[in-house]
Amino acid sequence: MLKKFLNTILFSEIGQGLKLTFRHMFLRKITVQYPKEKLVLADGYRGFIVHRRYDNGVERCVGCDLCEAICPAKAIRVVSDIHPEVPDRRYAKEYTLDFTRCVFCGYCVVACPVNALSMTKEFAHSSFTRDGLIYSKEQMLALGDRSGNDSDAYLKVRNMWDAEDSGKDEGRYHFPPITLGG
Amino acid sequence: MVKVTINGKEVEVESGTTILHAAEKAGFPIPTFCYNPRMDPAGSCRICAVELEDSKRTVMGCITAVSDGMKVLTESAKVHDARKTNLELLLLHHPLDCPVCDCGGECPLQNMSFSYGASDSRFESHRNDEPEDLKSDVLVFNSNRCILCGKCVRICDEIQDVHAIGFINRGFDTIIGPPLGKKLDCEFCGDCLEVCPTGAITDRFVRYQFRPWQMEKTETTCTACGSGCRMLVDTESEAIVRISSKEGLGPNEGSICVVGRFGFNYVQNKERLDKVYFKKAQRLVPGKWQEIMPKIADRLRGIVAGGSGRVAGLLSSRVPLEDAFLFQRFIRQTLRSNFIDSGARRGLMNLALPLAKATGSLRPLVDHKDIEAANVIVVLGGDPAAESNITGLAIKKAVRKNKANLYLVHGHDVSISTRAKEVIRTLPGAEADFLRLLRKSLASGGTLDIASKDAFVAMGASLEGIERLIADLGAAKKVVFVTGRRFHGSDTGLEASEELLRLLSEKGWFASEGSGLFPLTELGNDMGVLMMGGSSEWLPGLLEVSNAENRKVWETHWGTQLEASGGGIREILAGIESGKIKALITMGENPFEYIPDTALLRETLSKLELLVVIDHRQSDIADLAHFLLPSATAFERGGHVVSAEGFVQPIAPSMAYWGDSLPEAEIIFQLSRHMGAALPFDDFSAITREIFRIFPDLSPSTRNASHFQGGTGEILLAITKTQPPHKAHRESVVAKVGEWMKSAPSASSESAARLPVPEDAFVLQLSKSINHSGTFTIQDASLMTIEGEGLLRVPRQWARKRKLKKGSCVRVRTAHGEASLPVDPVAGLSDREVHFPIHFADERIQALFGKGFSWNSRSGVPSGQSITVTLEPVL
Repeated sequence: MLKKFLNTILFSEIGQGLKLTFRHMFLRKITVQYPKEKLVLADGYRGFIVHRRYDNGVERCVGCDLCEAICPAKAIRVVSDIHPEVPDRRYAKEYTLDFTRCVFCGYCVVACPVNALSMTKEFAHSSFTRDGLIYSKEQMLALGDRSGNDSDAYLKVRNMWDAEDSGKDEGRYHFPPITLGG
Repeated sequence: MVKVTINGKEVEVESGTTILHAAEKAGFPIPTFCYNPRMDPAGSCRICAVELEDSKRTVMGCITAVSDGMKVLTESAKVHDARKTNLELLLLHHPLDCPVCDCGGECPLQNMSFSYGASDSRFESHRNDEPEDLKSDVLVFNSNRCILCGKCVRICDEIQDVHAIGFINRGFDTIIGPPLGKKLDCEFCGDCLEVCPTGAITDRFVRYQFRPWQMEKTETTCTACGSGCRMLVDTESEAIVRISSKEGLGPNEGSICVVGRFGFNYVQNKERLDKVYFKKAQRLVPGKWQEIMPKIADRLRGIVAGGSGRVAGLLSSRVPLEDAFLFQRFIRQTLRSNFIDSGARRGLMNLALPLAKATGSLRPLVDHKDIEAANVIVVLGGDPAAESNITGLAIKKAVRKNKANLYLVHGHDVSISTRAKEVIRTLPGAEADFLRLLRKSLASGGTLDIASKDAFVAMGASLEGIERLIADLGAAKKVVFVTGRRFHGSDTGLEASEELLRLLSEKGWFASEGSGLFPLTELGNDMGVLMMGGSSEWLPGLLEVSNAENRKVWETHWGTQLEASGGGIREILAGIESGKIKALITMGENPFEYIPDTALLRETLSKLELLVVIDHRQSDIADLAHFLLPSATAFERGGHVVSAEGFVQPIAPSMAYWGDSLPEAEIIFQLSRHMGAALPFDDFSAITREIFRIFPDLSPSTRNASHFQGGTGEILLAITKTQPPHKAHRESVVAKVGEWMKSAPSASSESAARLPVPEDAFVLQLSKSINHSGTFTIQDASLMTIEGEGLLRVPRQWARKRKLKKGSCVRVRTAHGEASLPVDPVAGLSDREVHFPIHFADERIQALFGKGFSWNSRSGVPSGQSITVTLEPVL
């Protein structure tokens, strides 16, 4: 009875709560002052999806529609056609990825037979309109160019670097880069 | 019968059955690549390996016949190992470029690899990396992906009989392709594309534009010709991507011709009509349905109020039964006129008139199966491969499998000529004479007297050929006569048809099982439109309009008065000329296509008070229209069509209406409602139900279903008297023909008018090209890639003498005009004939015919298929 009375008038619960607070004042700081400070993200981070290029600057995508087929959120739309300059090659005439629908599961990257897709550490793209988050192939290629080595690192850490040998004669999928202009 | 045990289950099969079929019967399907039920087994892919329990060895299921007491295991571990190893060997050189291969997703090799777990090969070898063969505009040959099963080569040899592709080189270097590395030059049926189990042969028109899993398949019937092919329309978001087929589908058993497979782009052509137009100050301006329909209805009401027979209707014979039924009822009942005609007039009427009189039916007593089993096939004035491709396949099969004697009575060589025992060349218009002489010779025991010999020679026929034909006809049990467009459209077509019926009757070929007459119908629903009353001669059910009793049948049913007088296109044009007919409604039909005197036609049509054109494309008649109403095509609306064999098959819509266009039936519904005389149908399916209620034996059937049984009409009992006796009712046909023979006018002994051929002149004949159908396909980008220009086909030897090459011009002169046309020298033409594809017959050709065309006095079929010309090279 007396104990309950003392607990009530001395605010002991507040004391208990503050104890936790004061203890944390002396522990290591975890909160990062975003955007002034940024975390180092792991190589396997599933951020924005980008298109990749061959070393000679030609886009890798062959327009096979497999990413569209596997996408669980139906965020990807591919319209494929004959390459306008190389009549025996397939390419994506239109490629759109709706990031408002994308669930960043990474299936499309797994499905891609030529490593044309990869994920980056980019997560902060924003837009004032919905349409602004529907990316075309050109935008995704530009994003890939900006992302530097992140996309390569993602594929390596996810064990998908094998198909990178596709330029060789004996690769699993043999789609050497197109050389344009003779 | 032998007994075999398959996976422990005993089945009894005919001796000589292959293990594959026995296992199928036992309920254990065996996987195959190179096997196709229509072709001889080859045993080249080695996937159908099965184990024989006693001998412990694997044999190929598709080429091994069963023996008594054989014990077969189809799913043992050994069989699985064998199949997997075989797959690995097939994948040895396969490039595995499935992601970019058009076949990926519907590839039997892919599926099989998936189910046997052989996604790659254990064996070490190089991957093939040859460049693709991109020479052809239609098909792409990729030798890397080929597993050399030979299905494409065999279907081209055995089914199509075209022999366009073959195996080239030996061993690992073997590839499939056209000979000598040339560009593919064939009938472009695309059957090789269809049967290829990998992506070795792909479609160039839609190359890389689709993935199989994105597409929806709709099964429908092709209306390009009367074959009634069933096909699958593959659509992606309501746009047609391609047309494919399936083994064993429909009467065509999975084969489709070039027009059916590649000719669909005209429906999604950007230039297609997508708006309603009306004439304002001599120009067509776009309008709205809800504004225009009351206007048309008002004007029609005004014209009809002035009396009966003031409106005429022209109907395409590609429309389904429902539209034809509705249209003729609208014309006959609402507009009180019997001036109605359809495209079937020029296609079939010359034969249909005597045939319906003699047998009471238009449906042939033979079908493709009978053609395949016939002993003698006589093709009269037709190119089956071009006019009705699938009938052509049946004829080829008869010759190949059944050793049938094929005779071709035609002016020039066609693709089946190489298979013919004899090609008997006759001049255009000589058909009636030919048949009369043939009948006379057969009646006199097969001997030719001197007068007949002279007459045969005069029409250009070779005597040896005739003698062989007469001998074969005398000895044969099953004789099938196939008639084509040259026969039906000939100036003496009606007389020739009567002669033919007389010949068939006299020789008893109506009575004998497996013999008969098979007309090639050029348009998708020629027969159906006539059955539904799409001509001035007949009410629905082929009841003659002139007979008051027949009119009564429909008058009581419809509760109206029917006009007895009326007429076809000849009378319609005369009526417009005389001012009696004030309005014309055309539904998909364009008389400019077959009335050569276009200047006169234009003048006549401009006298009309009201011309309503319902069509899906711009044309000469559309330019003259006061109201131009866009209609849906066969890919957008449903319905039923009757094939040349007499099968009724449904059309299924596979895409949305183009722009503002509406189905023809809907347009007629709206018109009749606005006129205040609505027809008693609330929607399209109500017409279908009505048709099948009145004509129960028209209900859809397939090749496998039994033939139409002449069932009793539920309400129109009178019709059953004239209802088509079919295959199952041969006796009644024979009895009816016997009566007709007695009453029919005896054959005129004097030769009918035909074209005299001076020594230095040719007969220009308008003929159908295999790559086109009617004139709508010249708006189709794919078919125009295959054949994009009308070339005058001239005899090669003549062209060689004058150093003319393909594409060089000649000046063509007739009594009426002249034109300059590019030539195509071809072998196999008779010396006195040149040909021009009717699809490209524009002003240049019409100028040649000018006023020099006439009507068949009895059937009212316009002539204008052939004319005498002189040719002179342009230097």
